[in-house]
Amino acid sequence: MKRRQFLSLAGAALAAPAVTRVNAQSPATVRWWYHFDNPQATPGDLIAKFEKENPGIKVQAESIPWGGGNDYYTRLYAALIAGNGPDCAMVKLGNQARLVQMKALEPLEPMLANWAGKSDIADNLWAMNKASDGRQYYLPLQYVVLYLYYRVDLFAAAGVQPPKTFDEFLKAAQAVNKDGVAGFGMRGGGGGHDHWGTFVLGGGATFDKGGMVSPKALAANRWFVELGTKHKVFPASAPTDGFRQIIDNYKAGRAAMTIHHIGSANEMVQALGDKVSAVPVPRAADGKGWTSFGDESNAVFAASKVKDAAFKWISFLSTGANNVAFNTFTGQLPVTTSGAANWTLHPKRFVDASMQSLPVMGVLPDHPKTADFTRTVWPQNMQRALLGQIEPDAMMKAIEAHFHG
Amino acid sequence: MIERRSPLNRFLTVEIPILLVILFALGPYVWMILTSIKPDAELTRAPITYLPGTSTLDHYRTLLGRTSFGGNLVNSLIVALGTVALGLSVSVPAAYAFSRFRFAGRNYLLIQFLTINMIPVVLLIIPLFVLMRKLMLLDTHAGIVLGHATFAIPFSVWMMTSYFNALPRELDEAATMDGATRMQTLLKVILPLAMPGIVTTGIYIFVSSWNEYLFAMMLSGQNVRTVTVALQLFIGEFSVQWGLLTAGGTLVAIPVTILFLIVQKRLVGGLTAGAVKS
Amino acid sequence: MASAAGSRIREALRPYLFLAPAIVVTAAVIIVPALQTLWMSLHDYVLFRPDDVPFVGLGNFIRAFSDEIFWVSLVNSVIWIVACVGLQFLLGLGTAMLLNQSFWWRGVARMLVVIPWALPSVIIGLMWTWMYDLNLGVLNDMLLRSGLITTPVAWLARADTALPAVVLALIWQGFPFFAVMILAGLQSIPDEHYEAAEIDGATRWQQFRFVTLPALAGVIATALLLRIIWVANSLDVILVMTGGGPGFATHTLPLYAFLKAYSAMEFGYGAALALLLSALLLVVVAGYVRRTAREGLQ
Repeated sequence: MKRRQFLSLAGAALAAPAVTRVNAQSPATVRWWYHFDNPQATPGDLIAKFEKENPGIKVQAESIPWGGGNDYYTRLYAALIAGNGPDCAMVKLGNQARLVQMKALEPLEPMLANWAGKSDIADNLWAMNKASDGRQYYLPLQYVVLYLYYRVDLFAAAGVQPPKTFDEFLKAAQAVNKDGVAGFGMRGGGGGHDHWGTFVLGGGATFDKGGMVSPKALAANRWFVELGTKHKVFPASAPTDGFRQIIDNYKAGRAAMTIHHIGSANEMVQALGDKVSAVPVPRAADGKGWTSFGDESNAVFAASKVKDAAFKWISFLSTGANNVAFNTFTGQLPVTTSGAANWTLHPKRFVDASMQSLPVMGVLPDHPKTADFTRTVWPQNMQRALLGQIEPDAMMKAIEAHFHG
Repeated sequence: MIERRSPLNRFLTVEIPILLVILFALGPYVWMILTSIKPDAELTRAPITYLPGTSTLDHYRTLLGRTSFGGNLVNSLIVALGTVALGLSVSVPAAYAFSRFRFAGRNYLLIQFLTINMIPVVLLIIPLFVLMRKLMLLDTHAGIVLGHATFAIPFSVWMMTSYFNALPRELDEAATMDGATRMQTLLKVILPLAMPGIVTTGIYIFVSSWNEYLFAMMLSGQNVRTVTVALQLFIGEFSVQWGLLTAGGTLVAIPVTILFLIVQKRLVGGLTAGAVKS
Repeated sequence: MASAAGSRIREALRPYLFLAPAIVVTAAVIIVPALQTLWMSLHDYVLFRPDDVPFVGLGNFIRAFSDEIFWVSLVNSVIWIVACVGLQFLLGLGTAMLLNQSFWWRGVARMLVVIPWALPSVIIGLMWTWMYDLNLGVLNDMLLRSGLITTPVAWLARADTALPAVVLALIWQGFPFFAVMILAGLQSIPDEHYEAAEIDGATRWQQFRFVTLPALAGVIATALLLRIIWVANSLDVILVMTGGGPGFATHTLPLYAFLKAYSAMEFGYGAALALLLSALLLVVVAGYVRRTAREGLQ
């Protein structure tokens, strides 16, 4: 195939055709991509219910391997370029800027205007999912908020309280850091920016120009790196630990605190029972804080020929009882106010910790380079700083250069 | 080599070393089997326990009963056998031509087949995806087989050329004297003698295809999912299904091992000593 | 006369007929995509900007030469290839020699040895990561119990142990390949050769040196070459185990190209890095290519 064809094909696939009306008479097939952590969970029942309510629409759901996020998106981008993309798919904020730049997404406002379920989703969720061009492409589906896990028994034995500030955090971490138990199970591998963000973004760093290299930001980062290099409250394996190592070691009682979210609450309780609890992440001395909003939405693609049907399906998934049913598969939190009101899948203390974290919840910038920041730039520089190969300040300069260089 | 060792000598110099090699080869696999029969709660217990406190086959039951793993195994088998068939059927004649004919462009083509081995296949994936889409081969067995041909064909052309080169040319000449055509010579005389090479090359293609993930992930969909892709589905965003993953890993190794058990007699018996080398 | 000419033409065309299927399939699935890769390498091709693909000539290649990470990855790649292939080969050769001896459980041994090779890389990466785990890993546990270490070692998180740890996993995965290849080669050596050597009073080492090795040279060269190429391009085990870290400790060239392409979506630069890797490999195997070319003239 000629290069020009390759690109024109890509162009054709991405050029948004005018809104296509679905003929109510002819059956429309909606291709939807999803990823579930539990391979035994299938959306089959939800699809059956939807197809019964919407006789003209068939849903063809395809489970795509997550592969650390990379496989899912590689597959998605390749399919979009080849003109073979799904009509709608589960998507995350980290990739919104890229998808918008590719003109791959369909703005949802016209369809949302007529959707009764819109008001059941809190305003701040809508706001968080807005793209930087001001449009609404994402329809929230589920979410998590990161909080601080702590070991009730180890804290009691050491005579410390769950920390509310960074200073208290350090004192608590030092008090429980002994006998092969790390004070804080820190994640330095891919995705660990969530841990770093709490202390460094919460401590004053921002993604605006110059925001990573301000004196405040540099100091916050130095303080965080020193938790590992000077105070040694991180496990030795922290530089390359991923979520699996962090959670597995925490369950084995090898760390007294870590930062994660409600998605791991049930397995934590299974392993540790009442010995594990959670509080919102600690904040800086000035009361500012940051914790990661773990988002998941559905989006409709511009190249779809059945946009209305696709929207019907994704809005079905974000409606009341359906959204609750969906989140029982995925172990996250429902996005609807009605669904959250009587949520019983997780022990209450973890739901509370999630809710209390909402005021400091933040997201990474809606920028095409964000995905690469979380996957390579942050881990590489964090690891080098933790190993003493570079100064903490050099790490911040590298991040600044990645976004504004 | 000729056996002149006493039983004790053989025990010390052959059986003990090979036992160590096998311990090394099997250690991680055995650890995987042990992991697969432990209940989930025992996996994250420190200090670790070696033998399961209560062993369970639940993970295997779930794997085969509640996921599509059985079907995925069949898909992998079709793809791997298809790749072997395609790889060998196009590369055996090509290798024979390289080994036995002298023709214009021979060296050039031979070197080309070596060079294309060196292109990192990782970057071929997106162009290949677009190609398969145009050929309507996405999510078909044929599509993945063609994807796997990217590494299977250059490899087997080279492997087979070197095996054919090891067979004396007099054999062909004798056959031609007897009135056999080139094709008959290849099929009736050379192929049987080259069988160990063909089997070895075939095994290599089979194993590479069986274990391949990236092409299989990109080119397959819901319909022809292979085991490697299915296993990857057990590694989610926020949890890893260790039990299912290790049970799957344990099962995945078995067909290849059985295949090897079957064909190793061909490896041994294919060449009668002294019949080939002058 | 006419039929003689016809048969001569047929004769001349025959090698191409034999080659045609291989060439057609290869052209479709490798050469066309490879040409696209070449095209990408000459452009600033970022996947999420499909409408804006400026031609940059050799810019991507020049960028690589002034890219610190490129050089780090290159050095790691060299260590990676030499250590993995070298040790896989030595262990595979030894294993093949042993498996060629006769002992009563040889059939079982031959079967069991291939197991590591029968496992997908993703599983291998996960299993070895699990075994290397700081607290839950079987390796630290065994070393602690035997008193060889007093505190657990974070094998994959230290700059000095990460690369050797990943190399060990790859040796484990790859040595059966050499064992199988060399074993097939060993079986094609006629017994008479050894008998003759024995009559001449050759020691076992001399038999190995002067009978076995020369007979295996072709198979070994081909197996080494193919393995070098395979190992040089393999990245899935590294990706699963360390993602290239800590820092750049396990960053190899194909991994860097992969991350540039699929994480940064810079396909132009990723393609240039991949092509540089191919070029370097070609230099490495140039000797082999020259030898092949010479043999071709025989």
